[in-house]
Amino acid sequence: MSSSLKLLGEIRQSSERRPFEVLKLAEPLLNKGSITQAGDEVWLVYEQVFLAAVDEGQIDVAKAVLEILHNRFGEESQRVKRLYGLVSEATGHPEDAKKLYDDMLEKDATNVLANKRLITLLKSQGQYVQAIQELVSYLDTHGNDFEAWLELTHLYLDQHLYSQAAFCIEEVILQQPANHYFHLCYAEISYTMGNLDVALKEYLRVVELSTDNLRGFYGVKLTADRILDITSSRGSGKSKGPSHLKVENAPQKAMLERLSQLATERLLAIYSGSSDAMKKTLEEWLKL
Amino acid sequence: MGGLIESTDQTMFLDPAIRNWVLFPITVIMVLVGVFRHQLTILMTGQPAKPDIKEIRQGKALMRGHTLAQNNPYIPTAAFIERKKYLCQAYEDGTYLKDKTSKEKSPTDLMADPKNMEAMMDGMKKQMMGIIPQTLIMGWIQFFFSGFILIKLPFPLGLRFKQMLQSGIMTPNMDVRWVSSISWYFINLFGLRGVFALLLGGENSADGTRDMTAMSTMGAMGQQPGQPQDFNKQFLGMKDNLSIIYHEWDLENIEQRVLVKYGKQARIFKSTRK
Repeated sequence: MSSSLKLLGEIRQSSERRPFEVLKLAEPLLNKGSITQAGDEVWLVYEQVFLAAVDEGQIDVAKAVLEILHNRFGEESQRVKRLYGLVSEATGHPEDAKKLYDDMLEKDATNVLANKRLITLLKSQGQYVQAIQELVSYLDTHGNDFEAWLELTHLYLDQHLYSQAAFCIEEVILQQPANHYFHLCYAEISYTMGNLDVALKEYLRVVELSTDNLRGFYGVKLTADRILDITSSRGSGKSKGPSHLKVENAPQKAMLERLSQLATERLLAIYSGSSDAMKKTLEEWLKL
Repeated sequence: MGGLIESTDQTMFLDPAIRNWVLFPITVIMVLVGVFRHQLTILMTGQPAKPDIKEIRQGKALMRGHTLAQNNPYIPTAAFIERKKYLCQAYEDGTYLKDKTSKEKSPTDLMADPKNMEAMMDGMKKQMMGIIPQTLIMGWIQFFFSGFILIKLPFPLGLRFKQMLQSGIMTPNMDVRWVSSISWYFINLFGLRGVFALLLGGENSADGTRDMTAMSTMGAMGQQPGQPQDFNKQFLGMKDNLSIIYHEWDLENIEQRVLVKYGKQARIFKSTRK
């Protein structure tokens, strides 16, 4: 029994949501009542089981666990209240949930949990503009919550507002400079916006931080080749590419060619272990 | 010749009654008082003041400035300049201040703010809780247990300690290693920290040494402990910090770094040509 508890604890630590496994582990514990072995962690386990049950759609289990939590922590507990909101959302009553969260926020404007649930609710209902507004006002207060900035980046991307998304991902990078995934995101946004010089540098940062990063090298090759294309055509007088593409701060031609070569080489190396069909596709792509 | 050499080993026999009635009681009393203090402090400490949303905003705005100053090489120059301009302007205008009018307040006004009063009272109460028992016990020991030797220290000390540790007994020749009860009190003060950690868990209020450091810092700082922070000053300070930063984008020579990393180039050339 205690090994299940340990596993549940590890899943909590890594912040993963593995609803199926959590339920499978927790079911015997709950039925046999041996969950009390967890001591004070019992409540954390209950919360975890609740979230898993709601994820899996097992509302009765969720409601039963919620009863137990309610009996322990009472009406006024913020964490328990938002779980009620979650149940309303899961059973298809978003208006009830919204009312609950609005109430919680009125009573206490600093309540982070309710704020975040409200934003998620708006998002799930497709009210993106409102979700963005709420998130922006949340970030006005809590400017150091990089996960919120990341969420805002994705919201803006959904709305194709690239320069706003770029601003948000810059905030994320400012707070988490060593995470190569954020640099990758920034590189791709920059490429889409047409800032090829920034994109190239960011892609290079990705492959510096994460050796042989596939998306990183794809990006390097694409960007380097495109810049070479544009600068050569611009240099020769014929403006080939669209004029909004920014390549002013890009490296010189020789450097670009070396980078492109490096990217080709690494891509071939990365795919050297895969099937022949994949290799063929890669080679054809590389020739472009 | 014999008179010039200090006698090294004075052996005295102490009444075992001293051990039973002084040594152990002092320790026991100190432990009990410590536990009592700890529980009392828990009772007296109110809920930590719930921060108001404007206060949080204020604090976080300062943190943003700090993060920007710290991690500025990781974003492009244009992005940095944009943020620097915005934050410096905001700090100067007091956009993030909890209470816009408070820009003009002097420290005394800030202290009059009711919330800050509570925080300061709390701090002072805690200090009282520390000082009073210490003083009481010391006085009690001086009163009851002075005038005789209690223990022999296993290590030698300089002559100056004689006055403090043998306060009740005026003898010119007795080794400094024989000390009175007050020194046993000091030994307990430092030694019982471990015992309290076992009994009461890590963060306990029964620790005597913390009060001593608190008393010395109070004298050194010369201002009320727990004085509310003046955010306007901090904002202006941060603004100055930000304005003098010379931004160097970390990714300026990233091309060379990547080539070196993958073995295409031996080392990085510091050239002005890219």
